[in-house]
Amino acid sequence: MPKHYRPPGKKKEGNAARYITRSQAVKSLQVSLSLFRKLCILKGIFPREPKKKVKGNHHTYYHLKDIMFLKHEPLLEKFREMRAYEKKVKKAMSKKNRDLAERLLTRKPTYTLDMLIRERYPTFIDALRDLDDCLSMVHLFAALPAVEREKIEVKRVHNCRRLSHEWQAYISRTHKLRKTFISVKGIYYQAEVEGQKITWLTPHALQQVLPVDVDFKVMLTFLEFYETLLAFVNFRIYHSINVKYPPILDPRLEALAADLYALSRYFDANTTAPTVESQAVSSYGSNGQVEDKPAGAKLAESELRLAQLQHQLPSNEPGALMHLVEDAAGKDEDDEEVKECKNLFKNKKFFLSREVPRESLLFVIPAFGGVVSWEGEGAPFGESDQSITYQIVDRTMQGHRFLSREYVQPQWVFDCINARVILPTEEYMVGRVPPPHLSPFVDNEAEGYVPEYAETINRLQAAARKEILPILGVGKEDLDDPQNLLVEGIIDRAEAIEAAEKKRKMSILQKQYHDELKIELQGVQYSSVSNATKQNSVEDTEAGGESLPDFQQIAEDAANISKVVMPRKKRRLYEAMQIGKERKRADIGLLKERKRKIDEAKKSE
Amino acid sequence: MKVPKEDSHDAKAQKKEKDLEPKKKEEITMKRVEEKEEEKAQRASEEFPSDSDSDDEGLSEDEGTVIESGSQSELSEDEDIVSTSGDDESSDHKGHGEENLENQIESDDSLPNDDDFSQEDEEGQSESNESRQAVEESDSSEDEVAPRNTIGDVPLEWYRDEEHIGYDLAGKKIKKKERQDKLDSFLASVDDSRNWRRIYDDYNDEEVELTKDESKLINRLLKGKAPHADFDPYAPYVDWFAWDGAKHPLSNAPEPKRRFIPSKWESKKVVEYVRAIRKGLIKFDKPKEEARLYHLWDDSSSTERHGLAFIPAPKPKLPGHEESYNPSLEYIPTQEEINSYQLMFEEDRPTFIPKRFTSLRSVPAYEKAVNESFDRCLDLYLCPRARKKRINIDPESLKPKLPSRKDLKPYPITCYLEYKGHKGPVMSISTESTGQWIASGSSDGTVRIWEVETGRCFRVWELGDTVQHVAWNPSPELPILAVSAGQDVFLLNTGLGDEEEQKKIKEILHVETSTAPDGSGNNSSIVSWAQDDKHEGIRLTHFKTVSSIEWHRKGDYFSTVMPSGESRAVLIHQLSKKLTQRIPFKLHGLPVSAAFHPTRSMFFISTKKNVRVYDLLKQKPIKKLETGVREVSSIAIHPGGDHVIVGSREGKLCWFDMDLSSQPYRVLKCHPKDITNVAFHRSYPLFASCSDDCTAYVFHGMVYSDLNQNPLIVPLEILRGHASSNGRGVMDCKFHPRQPWLFTAGADSVIKLYCH
Repeated sequence: MPKHYRPPGKKKEGNAARYITRSQAVKSLQVSLSLFRKLCILKGIFPREPKKKVKGNHHTYYHLKDIMFLKHEPLLEKFREMRAYEKKVKKAMSKKNRDLAERLLTRKPTYTLDMLIRERYPTFIDALRDLDDCLSMVHLFAALPAVEREKIEVKRVHNCRRLSHEWQAYISRTHKLRKTFISVKGIYYQAEVEGQKITWLTPHALQQVLPVDVDFKVMLTFLEFYETLLAFVNFRIYHSINVKYPPILDPRLEALAADLYALSRYFDANTTAPTVESQAVSSYGSNGQVEDKPAGAKLAESELRLAQLQHQLPSNEPGALMHLVEDAAGKDEDDEEVKECKNLFKNKKFFLSREVPRESLLFVIPAFGGVVSWEGEGAPFGESDQSITYQIVDRTMQGHRFLSREYVQPQWVFDCINARVILPTEEYMVGRVPPPHLSPFVDNEAEGYVPEYAETINRLQAAARKEILPILGVGKEDLDDPQNLLVEGIIDRAEAIEAAEKKRKMSILQKQYHDELKIELQGVQYSSVSNATKQNSVEDTEAGGESLPDFQQIAEDAANISKVVMPRKKRRLYEAMQIGKERKRADIGLLKERKRKIDEAKKSE
Repeated sequence: MKVPKEDSHDAKAQKKEKDLEPKKKEEITMKRVEEKEEEKAQRASEEFPSDSDSDDEGLSEDEGTVIESGSQSELSEDEDIVSTSGDDESSDHKGHGEENLENQIESDDSLPNDDDFSQEDEEGQSESNESRQAVEESDSSEDEVAPRNTIGDVPLEWYRDEEHIGYDLAGKKIKKKERQDKLDSFLASVDDSRNWRRIYDDYNDEEVELTKDESKLINRLLKGKAPHADFDPYAPYVDWFAWDGAKHPLSNAPEPKRRFIPSKWESKKVVEYVRAIRKGLIKFDKPKEEARLYHLWDDSSSTERHGLAFIPAPKPKLPGHEESYNPSLEYIPTQEEINSYQLMFEEDRPTFIPKRFTSLRSVPAYEKAVNESFDRCLDLYLCPRARKKRINIDPESLKPKLPSRKDLKPYPITCYLEYKGHKGPVMSISTESTGQWIASGSSDGTVRIWEVETGRCFRVWELGDTVQHVAWNPSPELPILAVSAGQDVFLLNTGLGDEEEQKKIKEILHVETSTAPDGSGNNSSIVSWAQDDKHEGIRLTHFKTVSSIEWHRKGDYFSTVMPSGESRAVLIHQLSKKLTQRIPFKLHGLPVSAAFHPTRSMFFISTKKNVRVYDLLKQKPIKKLETGVREVSSIAIHPGGDHVIVGSREGKLCWFDMDLSSQPYRVLKCHPKDITNVAFHRSYPLFASCSDDCTAYVFHGMVYSDLNQNPLIVPLEILRGHASSNGRGVMDCKFHPRQPWLFTAGADSVIKLYCH
């Protein structure tokens, strides 16, 4: 009788009853595999790992409750209906009744996913927590070309682009962006919305490669869900700042692919209006506050006038004036970080040249309080504006150079944002190779290796905070980590002892050799002496062993001795941890080694 | 003519639709209804139904038949009209039709003759009312004067070089006129006052003199006016068709009333549709609407997720420094390193190789962007998810808290003495019960006795065969050494002790010749006891190689183990009686070693997998200890007798508590290689294991008399110092009987003493 034999008539129990394989699931749901896949994706059902895999290791297992969950999904019925309808259309087509087929096609049943979103993310925070993949995917598809063969429709690409811009506009407007990173894969952004850190990747704004070995059906199913999710999230966040959603954009700017700017202008026009009533009294009272910040007010005013000029705002709109005040009044609510982000590029005016990634910078700079314009139509101000403080260029300059502004590479903006200080621009001048661009997502101390430029930035940050570092090059972290010091001390001592011992042994051996030579010269028979010398040597080494034991060995033994009594599980865990540590150490060692070599090469030049 | 025809056709089409419509009633949508109505409106206003006819998709396929039927209907309607108008006019009607036909022909003819309109229009226009005559006189100008020229209507150039222009009726050439030279003609023209009226007619080769009227006419033509002055081009149109006065009118029917009132049928239809719409029988095509957005997360409803416990997908890994477009130089692997990646296993190979770009604009699109996104998608819906506890702890905290080693002193720590003299690996050592001497047996065939404290070699026996095991008799009065070498077991007199003892020993070690054959026939074949004069002792010859010897605590009995001896593998010998007997138990598997219980009459036999405990008095098995190791190599009994340690060839040490269970109380994995031997200290709470990895472990093994308290096992020290030889390390270890010292025998032919 096999071990897990279940007599007929007896119910299944345990894992056998709780988990079913995928093919069983498909069979019990009476759907095709592709439909099952679609349902799983939309519903967020994933396989699980049972403790005991009853059907074997090579199956995927779903929990029976998950499958029941799918079974009761109204969407399943809807999909069946759609399938039946498709058959109707097909029948009409095959009977050459094109008229009927077309009419049928216009009345195709559709489905919505909003309830699924509600079900999967009961609270808004849940949705935000899971927004990373959604944003990355939507941004990717916003950059993809529409391909009919793969059923990537123009409409969806446009929708993706619109959604991503709306999201960016919100983040930029509310100064929620925290970190940015230009990677080879694209540009990473990290924002903090309602306490959730949301990271997403936007591909570089270039023609994307469409690989052949990708099943776009799967991706489009995901995208379908993500589009809906992001639309609802956008709706929610827009309403949270009293802006109507979906926004209505200036078609001229939209046509110029300056959606972000159009959105920000929409915000300008829109945010203030509903809040006017509530803010009116307080704002008039706080007029002094406005005057406290003349520079900012002036800036905003000019911005406003600009917007008015470009027929965005009717000049007599009351909100227009309020806008300034609101900014000033709303400040107390922001926490320290938001304030920091808001003021990083305050009073700085940027101008983007043609070759820099415009969309990214248009998103990033206003998020940190800067004013930005670009070369081309629809721009708020032109290149010749004298108040521009920074011009972002990524190509050796020809033509007129303004003395009043600094010409920097785009990396400067991103580095400034990550460091939260205005870095000196000398290194980022046009034509130079900029300093390394470091990832803000890495905790250098935890990683154990601090790149050189990170230290420089640390020093600049400290200087900005008016802190004085004790010694140049010695970070705080080095001092307040006694563990490190201790380990270092031990290693040093061990090394010293080892060296001394080696020396001593060498001298003993040398001495012995000399003695033997002497004896041989004297012609005494070796065998008789050997005993004596051996005894000597034994004594010698023993004495040595006693007074100076192999220090490292002892330390190691002391560390390992308790491993003997560990239970197997813990021991394995410990060993795995050690292996991981060792690997990390090796990686860092490799980095240090490379760094040393590079430095040497530099020195020798 | 046209108007009624089309009207009738229209009616027909309507009829047809009328037929169709009841059938399709349910399916036809409002959109189509509107279309129809539009169509009708168009017809009413423009009288131009042929276009709208083609609009009708439902009928488009059999358009041909419709047209045909239309013509038929025309006829029939004509008949209708005829019938209404009366019989007397029927002939009239026919004639009218004829005339119409002729008229048609006339108009057709007039088209090609447009060129010579100027010549014929005099008559044509003047006789506008009499169409019949006009038909006859259409080419009258030709008839008046026959042209001189008979060549026909061919280009005159063909006859340029000829002297004739055709032939007359008689067949003679019609000669061209003599041409005057230019001077003459000029002079003539100057002389002649009427010369300007003369025109040379090329065709007829004659001069024509224009009359006054003709010149006037030409003048008018040149001005673009009608040639005749009395012709009025803008005269009011007089219908040539005599509608009223005709004898045979085309249709005598009066214009029907229905042409002037709104259609009842149509209004009925409209009402019908309106009602159907109101009742909901006709559904409109809803305009495609965008997905409605609303506050999905209003706070009112429950915030709990349904279904099973949700395991959120892990977030994608955040990029490190190396993924930067412009990483620090040290993150970029050198070319050699990149080449060396090729030698790695494919799964170990790094998927991402950092690269450096000097400016942002030179960064290309990432070619794996879609692939990576796709992989992420696959992970999200295909990967089984399980909640894994991520342990973020200091690995040191995993280590158990052990009592301080300082408190557990004394225990052997350092090598104090080495005993050198053996030429081969020392296989076994044994301590004398007083602790003054140790005996060692080596694979070079010698057995040596050493003085413990000085390291002096006291005595050497050359046995000639590899010594497997040496064992001192535990009783202090009988310093006898049992040595196994090959198939023989020697009982050697060490020559220690005072004379009285020596005498006793000699007595014991005396064997009457051939005692063994005298004994019971059963035993005779197994072992033969014989006097060995050479080494002053007894020689027991076994039938297989003896691997180990264990003494009973009283020193009278000892057991030998022959692993390949099958049912007679374990033997018990009695020294005083020179007797050998088989143990009366069945052995399960190959025996490895055997041991006597230190206090009671129990006997332990360890086979490769298990240890079995027998009661020697009752002669029955008591317990089976399941080690769970692959191969047991050695066994040692705690002096208390309730605890057993078993060493295995996989480096595991099992501690058994005899009172508890047959499973090990604690398994210690200390050695990476085979454990060769384990040993308990007789008085101190110490035990040790030695292994082929050249180390010996010393443990603190405290056993409490309180049964509720578990034994305390603490690893104390790793003793090193032996060198590996031929893959073997430390072969044996034994504690000093009194001191907390440990002797180890190494395969490097050295014996070491570790002291506290």
